[in-house]
Amino acid sequence: MTQVIGRLLLVDDEPQIIRALTPALSAAGFEVEPADSGESAIQRMAAEPCDVVILDLGLPDIDGKDVIARIREWSEAPIIVLSARDAEDEKIEALDLGADDFVNKPVGVGELLARVRASLRGRERRFASQAVFRSGDLRIDFATRSVRIEDQEIHLTPREYDLVRTLARHAGRVVTHRQIINAVWGAGAQVDAQFVRVLTGQVRQKLEADPSKPRLLLTEAGVGYRLRADDPR
Amino acid sequence: MRNLGRYSAALGWVALSTLIAEALFRLTGNTRLSMVFLAAVLLSAFFQGSGPAYVAALAAFFVYNFYLVEPRFSLSIDAEDMLNLVVFLAVAMLTGSLTGRVRDQAARAEARARTTDALYRATRELSALSDESTIRQKLAEHLALAARGEAFVRDGLRTISAREVALDPALLRELASLEREPFAAVKSSPCGAWTLRPLRAAGASLGVAAWRRGGDAARQEDGERLLEILADAGAATLARARLAAAKAEAEARARTEDLRNALLASISHDLRTPLAAIMASASSLQEFGETFDPVTRRDLALTIQEETERLDTAVANLLSMSRLEAGAISIEWSGFNVPEVVERAVERRSGWMGRTAQVSLQSNLPEALGDAVLFEQALGNVLENAFRHTPAASPVEVAAFSERGEVVVDVRDAGAGLPPHELERVFEKFFRGRRALQTTGTGLGLSITRGLMQAMGGSVTARNNSKPAIGLTVQLRLRAAAT
Repeated sequence: MTQVIGRLLLVDDEPQIIRALTPALSAAGFEVEPADSGESAIQRMAAEPCDVVILDLGLPDIDGKDVIARIREWSEAPIIVLSARDAEDEKIEALDLGADDFVNKPVGVGELLARVRASLRGRERRFASQAVFRSGDLRIDFATRSVRIEDQEIHLTPREYDLVRTLARHAGRVVTHRQIINAVWGAGAQVDAQFVRVLTGQVRQKLEADPSKPRLLLTEAGVGYRLRADDPR
Repeated sequence: MRNLGRYSAALGWVALSTLIAEALFRLTGNTRLSMVFLAAVLLSAFFQGSGPAYVAALAAFFVYNFYLVEPRFSLSIDAEDMLNLVVFLAVAMLTGSLTGRVRDQAARAEARARTTDALYRATRELSALSDESTIRQKLAEHLALAARGEAFVRDGLRTISAREVALDPALLRELASLEREPFAAVKSSPCGAWTLRPLRAAGASLGVAAWRRGGDAARQEDGERLLEILADAGAATLARARLAAAKAEAEARARTEDLRNALLASISHDLRTPLAAIMASASSLQEFGETFDPVTRRDLALTIQEETERLDTAVANLLSMSRLEAGAISIEWSGFNVPEVVERAVERRSGWMGRTAQVSLQSNLPEALGDAVLFEQALGNVLENAFRHTPAASPVEVAAFSERGEVVVDVRDAGAGLPPHELERVFEKFFRGRRALQTTGTGLGLSITRGLMQAMGGSVTARNNSKPAIGLTVQLRLRAAAT
C-alpha cells in the first residue's frame, strides 16, 4: 500500500459522494475522515486535527462558510471547497474567509487530488519562506526581486512584481480579486476588479509566450487568478 | 314665493292682534293696547325674520294709530305715537336679528350635518373599493349628487360620469392644461359653469374632477367646500388603490421569483449530486482502477449505476412536474399489477443511502386503474422521502392491500413523524418540515406524488403512526380496475 500522507476530513451530507471519493483519496495516501454535517466536521477537527479538509458548502445544519470561519479560528489546515460551478459569490466569500482553493462539482478525482497536493505544498512554501520560486520557465528570486523567464531577466513595475509575488506565494491556488487588491494596493484600497484585470494583462504581456493563451497566469472566471505550479506528482 | 308668504304671515299677526285689541277694547274700553300690537311685531320677528318684522312694525303702528289712538279712525301723530313707532321698530329689529341669527345658525348646522353625512357616506363607499375605474365612477356619482347637478372624472382621455356630459372645446383645453401640470398646487379652477379640480395625492396625478352645480345649490358656500373635500378624498382613495395594486403586484412578483429560485436550486441539486458521484466514481476507476481491490471496484461501479438511476428519477420528476404544471400529463390508462410495480420501485431504490424496504403484499390483490409508470414514480418519491428523513438503521415497510374497491399502498417508516399541522403541508411544493431542515432535499418529491395521484383519480395522504409505534405512514390509493 501507499504510505500515509496525512489525514483528510471529507465533509459532505450526500453519502454517495463520500462513498465515491473515499477509495481514490485513500489510494492517494490519505486517511479519510468522513463528516456529514458542519457541526460534526468541526468536532472531528477539534478532536483530532486533520491535515487537509475537503468541504461541501451546502450543508444541512450550518452554512459551509461558517464552518470555514470556525475552523480558521484555530487551524491553518488547507481547506478546499467543493462548490457548484455557478456560485461565484459563494466561492469568493469562502476564499476570503480563509479557504485555500475551490473545485467545481462535478470534479474528477485527478483534479481534486492535484488541488489537495497544491494546497498542502502551498502551506509548506509559505511557512518555509523559500527564497526562490520555480514553475516551468518562470523563476522568481524573492531576495533580489528578480523575475526570469528562461534565464531572461524580466523587468516588472513594483505593482506587477507585487502581483506576481502574491500569486507565487499561493502558487497552484486561486487568489481572489480582493486578496490581490489587499496585497498590491494595500488593505481597504478603493480599487475594483477592473484594475486587477489591467494589471494581470500587463504581467501576461511580459511573462507569457502567447498572452492571449496564458499558460502561467490563469484566470478563474469571476473569482480571481491562479499561478500555475509544477505538479511533481 | 316663500318671501311673499313670510310677509303675508307677518301681516296676519298684525291682523290677529287687531282682532284681539278690538275684543279687549269692547270688554274694557281701554285704548292703551299698544302691547298687543307689540306682540304681533315680536311674533313676526320670531317666526318670519327681520324683514317681515319691520313691515309688521310699520303696519302695527299705522293700524294702532288709526284705529285705537284718539281721535280714532284718523292718523294723528304726536310725540307719544312716535315713541310707540320707535319701540315697535326697535323690537322688530332686535328680535328679528336675534332670531334670524339663531335660525341661520340652525340652518347652517343642519347643512353642515348634511355635508358631513354626505362626505361620510361617500368616503366610506369609496374606501371600500379597490378598483380604480370603479372608484372614479363612484366619485363622479357622489360629486353629481352633492352638486345637485352634473359631474365627471377625467382620466387621460377617458371621461367617467354618471350621466353623459357634453364637453365643449374650452373645457377640453382647460382639462388638458390641468393634466399637463402634474406638480402644480391642488386648487379648484372655474371654467364656464364648471369647476375643475385636479385629483392628486401621494405625489401621483390621478386625473381631474369636474362639477357643475345645479339649482339653488349654487348659492351655498358650504356646498363648494363639500365638493372639494369629496374630490380630494376621491384622489386619496385612488392613490391608495394604486399603491395597494402596485404593492400586490410587487409581492406576487417576489413570490414568483422566490419560487423560481427555489425550483432552480432544487433542480440543480437533484441533477448535480448524482453527477458529482458518477464523475468521482468513474474518474477514480480510471485513475486508480488497477490499484483498487475488486470489492472497491464493484462498489464504485454500483455507485455509478445507482446514481444514474437517481439522475433518471430526477429527470422523470422534472418532466412530470412541468407536465403537471402545464396540465399536460398524459396517462396511459390500464389495469396494472400493483405488487409488480411495488417490487420494482423498492428494488430500484434499494441501496440508496444504504437503505431498503420490507415489502408485504396481500394475495389476490385486484389490479389498480391508472398508469403503472407514473404510479411507480409517485411511490418512488415517497420511498426516497422515507429513506432520506429517517435514521439510517430504522426500518421502512411497504404494504399493499385492497380496501373498499381501492388498491392501497402504505409506506410506513419509523422516523420522528410529523407535527399534526405539517401532515397536509408536506404535499405542498417546496415545503420542507421543520425537522427536515436537518437534511438536504428539494421539497418537490411529495408534491409531484400528489399531482400524479390526483391526475390518476387517486389520492395520497400522510398520518402519524398510532402509538406506541412511531413514524409516519404515507398512503397512496388508486381505484381498483373492474374485473
